[in-house]
Amino acid sequence: MTRILLKNKLDECIAAWRSAGFSVLAPVKRNDLSRFEEVERSADMALDLQITERTIKDHFFPQTEPLLRYTIKKHDLDSQEMLPPDIRRVFFGVRPCDASGLAIDDPLFGWDYKDQYWFKRRDNAVIVTIACTTSDDFCMCTSVKLAPDSTKGSDVMLRPLQNGTGWQVEALSDRGTALLDSVSSILQESSETPAPPASVPVKFDVDKAMEWLADPANFESHFWKEISLRCIGCGSCTFLCPTCHCFDIQDEGDTYTGIRRKNWDSCSFTMFTMHTSGHNPRNTQSTRWRQRIMHKFNYYRGKFGVNSCSGCGRCTRQCPVDMGITETLQAISNLQG
Amino acid sequence: MGIQVQFRKEAAELLSSGAVKLVIGYGEGSTPERRRPVFVRTPAETERLVLDGACVANLSTYLISEGLLSDGKNVAVFLKPDGIRSINILAAEAQLNPEQVVIFGFDIENGEARPLAGRKASDFTQVVEAAKAAGLSPELQKEAERLDHISAAERFEYWKEQFSKCIKCYACRQVCPMCYCRRCIVDVNQPQWINTSSHTLGNFEWNIVRAFHLAGRCVACGGCDRSCPVNIPLRLINHRMAKEVLDAFDYYAGESTDQKPVLATFRQDDPETFIL
Ligand code: SF4
Ligand code: SF4
Ligand code: SF4
Ligand code: SF4
Repeated sequence: MTRILLKNKLDECIAAWRSAGFSVLAPVKRNDLSRFEEVERSADMALDLQITERTIKDHFFPQTEPLLRYTIKKHDLDSQEMLPPDIRRVFFGVRPCDASGLAIDDPLFGWDYKDQYWFKRRDNAVIVTIACTTSDDFCMCTSVKLAPDSTKGSDVMLRPLQNGTGWQVEALSDRGTALLDSVSSILQESSETPAPPASVPVKFDVDKAMEWLADPANFESHFWKEISLRCIGCGSCTFLCPTCHCFDIQDEGDTYTGIRRKNWDSCSFTMFTMHTSGHNPRNTQSTRWRQRIMHKFNYYRGKFGVNSCSGCGRCTRQCPVDMGITETLQAISNLQG
Repeated sequence: MGIQVQFRKEAAELLSSGAVKLVIGYGEGSTPERRRPVFVRTPAETERLVLDGACVANLSTYLISEGLLSDGKNVAVFLKPDGIRSINILAAEAQLNPEQVVIFGFDIENGEARPLAGRKASDFTQVVEAAKAAGLSPELQKEAERLDHISAAERFEYWKEQFSKCIKCYACRQVCPMCYCRRCIVDVNQPQWINTSSHTLGNFEWNIVRAFHLAGRCVACGGCDRSCPVNIPLRLINHRMAKEVLDAFDYYAGESTDQKPVLATFRQDDPETFIL
């Protein structure tokens, strides 16, 4: 016997969490876009989506975020931090790849300086993940050694029941246990079996690809030029990626007063590495694409012991010219033989 | 002979005779429905070229890659009428020498690719005239009209909602053949004329700047609209701007390689309705 949550009890659950002070966010399709938004009832949720176009990263590391307000006076400077509000949030219906993305980014934001903007939100969030029983042409979690039912980064795991009436529930952390305890009267004991996870084909041998990338002889390989010829250098693949985390600091205001903001930035952009002198160390798209791959499958692992890719497939799914991690890593693992 | 076989054969001939150094066309994509741009340099590689009704991207955007045409050598490219119009504009705006561009012209009818006769931009005058005569897309017109019939306040709300989704990935700019500035105004940072932040105000700034820069230049290839990862209906903005210049100045972008840019020239009889 395990505990289950029935779909027809979901509204009771949402109401209980909301009255306990949580905001509940779930996949929503609105204004021609799917993403996580606050919901009040299950009817607002788009739980049948394979994956939202935008990632939950947006809610931890927003595309633009105020850091502080400043005023420059004659002899001194006033500044006030603008930390995110203390809101406890339940993210319901997260995909395992997006939940993993958060866990992959945690060490980055907590490395030499603990990014309060990220961790304040992380500490106040409960990630309720639904295991995938279907996948699409672009899903590639298994290629990066994750899985459609991977628990990484999740506080609660929901496994869809075979009969389609609900989910088997499992708490994976203290926060997850507390969240489930708060609705224990709504959950039921059941012997219904969960549906098997999706079978997601492995598209490349990531170990081989990592070997090739680790070989300094390949850094200047002609391969990089060929594979990235059609890349137009937009930021789509990085901005839609659950693990890409680069940002730029900008002051907005006039000479004396303004707001300092943290804005997404992308290694795909020419401006990303442009020096004040006008010199640009990554002055071609191939060097920028190489950076993206090297960062994800070499540098990040070197520093934090994990690859910076959770296999969500968005970079291929949404690329305007049909590039993406999958094609490049397939080609590289073939090169390594 | 099917169009794909014919184009492959002619591309191979051009490459082996040295008439062109490169052929930019379409190839198989990562799924059966997808096509992707491919770059072919040898006759043998022309086997990779695919041409069918799924080949919709305007490949002229690659011709403005820095340095591609600066050696004076020719490049061949697969283009629909919208792409041919892009070549005309790029030539008229002195961004390329049209003599260096060999055009494999085609159109898509009922989901199938059909060849268009000609090789140089100037050979397609009739194709472009026919496109102008056919008028702006009636489907787009219908979609755009819905916005004409709501109040200004509602229209503002609509675009506010849409633009608030923008993440400033600049895919719309990067994919656009008419966006060739080496340093886009939004990238000019000394001073930073336009906020880089993608909050609602910053997004309005960006999308409005781009709309104005494309007025009378956009060829309605739909590249930006298809590329926008957050599905902002950019086609409606482009359509509206194209309609404005057509109605006010009888101007259809990309008619010829020496057509004067509409917002950079004037005629004695231009309407002056907007001058107070
Ligand atoms: S790979 Fe695709 S999405 Fe990424 S920068 Fe290049 S064109 Fe844009
Ligand atoms: S690199 Fe691509 S597949 Fe990997 S997490 Fe980012 S968007 Fe997803
Ligand atoms: S603005 Fe959009 S539709 Fe117009 S030419 Fe550029 S990419 Fe094509
Ligand atoms: S493609 Fe869409 S999201 Fe990206 S900058 Fe353009 S309008 Fe914004």
